[in-house]
Amino acid sequence: MIIAKNLEKNVDTSEGQLCILKGIDLEIKHGETVAIVGSSGSGKSTLLGLLAGLDVPSHGAIFLDGEDITLLTEDERAEVRARLVGFVFQSFQLLPSLTALENVMLPAELNGVSGARALAEKYLGRVGLDHRFNHYPRQLSGGEQQRVALARAFASQPKILFADEPTGNLDSTTGSHIIDLLFDLNREEGATLVLVTHEQRLADRCQHSIKLDAGEIVADDLKSVTAADSSITKDDQ
Amino acid sequence: MFGLRLLWRDWRGGELGILASAIVIAVAIVTGISLFAERLQQGIVAQSNNFLAADRVLQASAPVNPEWLAHAQSMGLQQAQILGFPTMVYTGNDVDAAMQFTSVKAVSDSYPLRGELNVSTEAFGAVTQSTDSPSPGEVWLDPRLLPLMDLEVGNTVFVGEAELTVSQIIVTEPDAGGSFYGLGPRVLMNISDIPATNIVQPGSRVSYRYLFAGETLELDNYGKWLEDKLLPSQKWLGLADVQPQISRSLERAEQFLLLAGALGVGLAGIAIALAARRYSERHYDYVAMMKSLGATSIRIMTIYSSNLLLLAVIATIVGSGLGWLIQEVFINVLQDYFEVTEVPSISLRPFVVGAVTALVCLTSFALPPLISLQGASPLRVLRRDLDRSGVSSAFTYGTGVLGIAVLMYWYSGNLVLTLAVLAGVGMTFAIVGVLAWYLLQGSAKVGMQAGSSWRLALASMRRRGFQNAVQAVIFSLAIMLLLLLALVRSSLIEEWQIQLPEGTPNHFLVNIAKRDVTAVEKLLSDNKMSGEPIYPMVRGRLVTVNQEAIKTWSEKTDPTVEGSVDREMSLTWSDVKPEDNLITDGKWWSVGSSAAEVSIEAELANRMEVGLGDNLSFLVGSESLNVTITSIRELDWESMKPNFYMIFPPGLLEQYPATYMTSFHLPSAEKRFLNQFIKRFPTITVIEMDAVINQIRSIINQISSAVELVLGLIIISGLLVLVASVQASLDSRFQESAILRTLGAKRQLVLGSLAIEFSALGLLAGFLAAFSAELSVFGLQEYLLDMDYVPHPWVWVVGPIVGAVLIGTAGYVTCRKVVNTPPVEVLRDL
Ligand SMILES: Nc1ncnc2c1ncn2[C@@H]1O[C@H](COP(=O)(O)OP(=O)(O)O)[C@@H](O)[C@H]1O
Ligand SMILES: [Mg+2]
Repeated sequence: MIIAKNLEKNVDTSEGQLCILKGIDLEIKHGETVAIVGSSGSGKSTLLGLLAGLDVPSHGAIFLDGEDITLLTEDERAEVRARLVGFVFQSFQLLPSLTALENVMLPAELNGVSGARALAEKYLGRVGLDHRFNHYPRQLSGGEQQRVALARAFASQPKILFADEPTGNLDSTTGSHIIDLLFDLNREEGATLVLVTHEQRLADRCQHSIKLDAGEIVADDLKSVTAADSSITKDDQ
Repeated sequence: MFGLRLLWRDWRGGELGILASAIVIAVAIVTGISLFAERLQQGIVAQSNNFLAADRVLQASAPVNPEWLAHAQSMGLQQAQILGFPTMVYTGNDVDAAMQFTSVKAVSDSYPLRGELNVSTEAFGAVTQSTDSPSPGEVWLDPRLLPLMDLEVGNTVFVGEAELTVSQIIVTEPDAGGSFYGLGPRVLMNISDIPATNIVQPGSRVSYRYLFAGETLELDNYGKWLEDKLLPSQKWLGLADVQPQISRSLERAEQFLLLAGALGVGLAGIAIALAARRYSERHYDYVAMMKSLGATSIRIMTIYSSNLLLLAVIATIVGSGLGWLIQEVFINVLQDYFEVTEVPSISLRPFVVGAVTALVCLTSFALPPLISLQGASPLRVLRRDLDRSGVSSAFTYGTGVLGIAVLMYWYSGNLVLTLAVLAGVGMTFAIVGVLAWYLLQGSAKVGMQAGSSWRLALASMRRRGFQNAVQAVIFSLAIMLLLLLALVRSSLIEEWQIQLPEGTPNHFLVNIAKRDVTAVEKLLSDNKMSGEPIYPMVRGRLVTVNQEAIKTWSEKTDPTVEGSVDREMSLTWSDVKPEDNLITDGKWWSVGSSAAEVSIEAELANRMEVGLGDNLSFLVGSESLNVTITSIRELDWESMKPNFYMIFPPGLLEQYPATYMTSFHLPSAEKRFLNQFIKRFPTITVIEMDAVINQIRSIINQISSAVELVLGLIIISGLLVLVASVQASLDSRFQESAILRTLGAKRQLVLGSLAIEFSALGLLAGFLAAFSAELSVFGLQEYLLDMDYVPHPWVWVVGPIVGAVLIGTAGYVTCRKVVNTPPVEVLRDL
């Protein structure tokens, strides 16, 4: 589903070139849940951005669903995103001038999918916000905003869901509710989940965990499927 | 469809409000001013054409080819005819019958085509307006003829062999101005009675006037058709030829209105640019989000540009309506000053101008920031700190200035005007930008010792140094445009008023015999009539220039010269230079000179291509007079004072038979003085110019109040720009204020510092605006309006004060919202 080969990312700064990522090789299978862990500044968000096609690497190749997205233009990558990818962000990224419902409708509307409204209502209901359709983001709490963001991510029915520290701005209780919701939805939808986090607790719930340090992969362990499965099953009950 | 929904959501969210209202204002101003200017012009031209009793006049010394008139007929032009000649009028055939030298005007039934006559049935009795003319067998008389000839309405008089009944007394005629119809008291009769008079024979001194009225376009076409058919003795006249004062005032007023309109567009353009920038900045995150969700840049461009287009269409419709309203209000306000009651027809042009303005403003001001939107990186959803490198101010303002330049040029059709305004704007940007930057840096240091509000304000000004410098430039641009307009307006109005000051001579006396000169002088001064000096007049003809016949000379130089000098000219002599004449070259002779020299009027000298030292010879009576040009004089032909092309030293002309002339001011309440005067000096001709002068004054007053109104409109749009500009900086102020207040700053402190910050910015902007306004006025007056520049010390005081007060108030009022919003609400939005 996702294959990265020898990724490298350099940026130009006032103090010369800075290497943020180097020698990244990884493979993520269809339907897998993967955690990217590491301390702050280790390059997790940068890697996520590359895998999702939001940015291009300085060197290396990235295959999404068999297609090398590093060879595509920004607009072609946008089409790939529209087709395959959904996002959840640390800072929610809801548009302040749209209501909760309109925020969730946005991807479907952008892609010209019919029935955007019904779809959006369904997913908002699924995250438990039936009664808040017409509220603006500023009228919602952080947890509620992130739930809207989850609804938005799944409403586009993506094959791959990228989440960048989805609980980073939330207290731990709210955060774990959001995570439960994320895993539940993901299982129902059968998407590949790539989750960036610095919390080991969260990484433990994924089948596969990749540890970054200073832009390099220091550990990539494919855990026992049973352990991950049992944790999900346990949570479900 | 999605684009529409986005537009609607933006509108609902208040995001679009500023942008939309800026476009609406731009369209409204431009449409309103164009409509108003058009109607004003039509109204005033119609009114001014009363001076001709027509829209155009064909003047001739013999009947013109009837085919010409038939052609005018076929073009649908209205026509009337006038015959003018001097003649004696008698009360009867007996020896003791009264007789009087008069100037007869015989008119066709359709006279007057424009304007009306004021008539009465009693000398100095109640006046009624009439658009009729005398019927066959009737005659209408100048009121002075009644006492002079001992007549009453109902009596009969003889014009030549025709006996006509006096049926009305003429108080004013629409086309009385000047001396086209001779100098004696007026006798108005029907043209069909002319054959019965037996006066008009081939070769008799009769002037013919053919009056035309109709659509301007048709009249112009007809004039073009006539152009190469006209003989030198035939002239096609319009308002400009007959009433140059009014035509010039109108022309300048029009230029002023155009200038005002162009500035209005400029101001609205700034507002649009500010609003569009703010809009695109706010939409940066939107676009990043849409891109991360898979929208391509083409998709985004389509969405935004079609939204913009839709916005333009809606704003144009609303703006046109508003423009119409503005203009209606203006016309209603002016109704009191306007004598024209009929509403002139309106063309589509103002609306086209408005729509084009909206489109150009949008593409040049709003499109660049929106184009830069598509450059928003989708990575922004992960990294909020990513800079918004796409929004380039230089590009935005560059295309904006270009757009304004194109609009102004298209709008005014005047390159000099466009360049003058652009130079002013460019200068403001360059000089003011740099100055503002340095002054802001300096002020921050000075303020550090001051109280806490001050410290906060100055620290904030320094922190936002660049942003504030840009804002100061925009503020000063707005203030500068307002000052500029105010300055041009006051010098225009001043000049119009100087043109015909109170006490301008309004009556001319000609044909004064030498023996009457002292008596006339005494009578005038006894009655406290302020008069001009009395000038002698000798008729003479210019025959050679530097020993070359005038005909061959003028063929070499300017062929039209021959027409204007190949007739008898009025030559005068004087020891002293006429007071308001200005010697531009050479020098005036010493008192009592009898040297063979002459002083020539500058315009004529220029056309004839003669100068100091050239030799002119005149034929006076049967003798020839050879003189050398020793001075060149400039004079104001519109001053209503005796003016002469040629002035000689006294010794040269004194031996020739001369008549004398002068002009004086007669207050309207003392009109009866003329009866007394004419009884005493029956041979002197009085030319009454008071009606003409009054009409010119009233028209100039109308134009002046129109100019004031337009200035008011522009001031309003200037204020809107200020508000838009203050609002553009609100977003960051909301955050700052919220943070300051969470840190414990009192509302009063924050508000105080905001007020100080804005007032200081305004003060600075006002000062800089005064500077660039003076520069632009200088350019405009020297190069465009053809007026003399005088510095205006008051703008240096008014500019900064107005700036500080206006911007301080605008800032304070707008920012009250900032401090009245609970900090939590702001912080949650971050
Ligand atoms: N465009 C950029 N310019 C400069 N430095 C960058 C840029 N993008 C990322 N970095 C740096 O690269 C490092 C990794 O960033 P990031 O991927 O956001 O880390 P993480 O998400 O693991 O906290 C950080 O030190 C960050 O400052
Ligand atoms: Mg990160």
